Amino acid sequence: MEKILVLGAGTGGLVAANLLASHGYKVTLIERSDTHLFQPGMLWIAFQGHSPSRYTRPVKDLVRPGVELVKGSVAGIDLGDRLVYLADGRIFTYTTLIIALGAQLDYEAVPGHRELVERYGDFYSGAQAAARMWSHLRELVRGRLVIAAADPLYKCPPAPHKAAFLAAHTLRRMGRLDSVEVHLALPFLHEYPSEVVARIVAPKLEEAGVNVSTLFTVESIDVDKGRIYSLEGEEIDFSLAAVIPVHRGPSVKVEPGEVLDEDGFVKVDRYKLNVEGYDDAYAIGDASNAPTSKTGVTAHLGAEVVVDRIMGLDSRFNGRTNCPIVANGEASFVISSYDYPPVPVKFSRFKRMLEDLFIASYWSSLKYPERWAPIFRAYFNATDPRVISGGW
Amino acid sequence: MSERITVDARGMACPGPITKLVRAYRKASPGALIEVLATDPGFKPDIEAWAKRTGNEIVELSEEDGVIKAVIRVTGKK
Repeated sequence: MEKILVLGAGTGGLVAANLLASHGYKVTLIERSDTHLFQPGMLWIAFQGHSPSRYTRPVKDLVRPGVELVKGSVAGIDLGDRLVYLADGRIFTYTTLIIALGAQLDYEAVPGHRELVERYGDFYSGAQAAARMWSHLRELVRGRLVIAAADPLYKCPPAPHKAAFLAAHTLRRMGRLDSVEVHLALPFLHEYPSEVVARIVAPKLEEAGVNVSTLFTVESIDVDKGRIYSLEGEEIDFSLAAVIPVHRGPSVKVEPGEVLDEDGFVKVDRYKLNVEGYDDAYAIGDASNAPTSKTGVTAHLGAEVVVDRIMGLDSRFNGRTNCPIVANGEASFVISSYDYPPVPVKFSRFKRMLEDLFIASYWSSLKYPERWAPIFRAYFNATDPRVISGGW
Repeated sequence: MSERITVDARGMACPGPITKLVRAYRKASPGALIEVLATDPGFKPDIEAWAKRTGNEIVELSEEDGVIKAVIRVTGKK
């Protein structure tokens, strides 16, 4: 009998499990946490003071009948023997495996980073850390808020930009933008990895009153001095800082070890998303090494492809991204795929409404992905980078 | 002989190759050589701009059969 095992109840894992259940499959979903966090919500908690409860839900409320939810922490995967080991000693077998364990954050790669997060919080380390950042931001009367990254590879490439826009907006409303500088220090050559996007986002950052440094990759942090040093040999002083941690693949022992790349991400066929060398195991979302952005959209679309393939359909993942860049009252999207670099997408209020609609639909789209599929498909087809290659 | 690190970023699109390079650069000692292999055509101007702005030396930059090979000597680290 078919036994499908899904590891991780993030965006990709929930969409895959619920979609399979909607097609009548029996699925077991293993998750270590009781709550699911809508990760972009951390930006709104940290920089606009939203309540964490707006962005968290009990996992059990997000799974459909037909999905057996198991609480447990995955410790090991044996692809050859089709076994999954949990930290508490339980062992699961499968006929098909979907690895959706996300990325783990490494606070040891940058000296001083753990101390910084413990003191000030950030917008990556959970809802509580985001709330801690907000409690410091609201007390920040003068000085410099620094948003930076420890590595160019992290979830949601425009997240630091959004952080800067949202923080600047809040400080402006508090009447403090004259006495608090918002400084965005990016590990890229330009204001965004793609020059096309950089040209669109740079004037918006200037308009919002955000100062930008490029090629600033955090090497170490002196929390007591309030100083960040970069790999490129520069330094910047802060009154308050949030640094995006180094990302690595999930902290799970996998046999054979060759299926993991040097950073611990699971090597997959970028189109079929099966684990390299295995046709009965897949990896989706942040856990995989697919050469696209690490975002909820790629996890969601990847889950749909994997479910199609389990059903015998020859679906392919095209690496499509749709990363929202939210500025004051407006938004743009970073739209690209494996074959198309990002296209120019202008900021508009209409796109901001679309993004707010995506956020509002989030919980429902996790639990009932098949209801949202035709709506999302229409959106993704209409905004395919081939269709809007001249700009949108 | 100085330390030599190889970074294979073939098949990765922008900003993949630079991302891989930065990860290697973090661990590299001054004087080490980092060899990057990439297929993204944007990698050539990017690596030149990166080396110039970070004060690292490009020892070799060549292209063969669509594969760009860049060898960098770590001179920008104290």
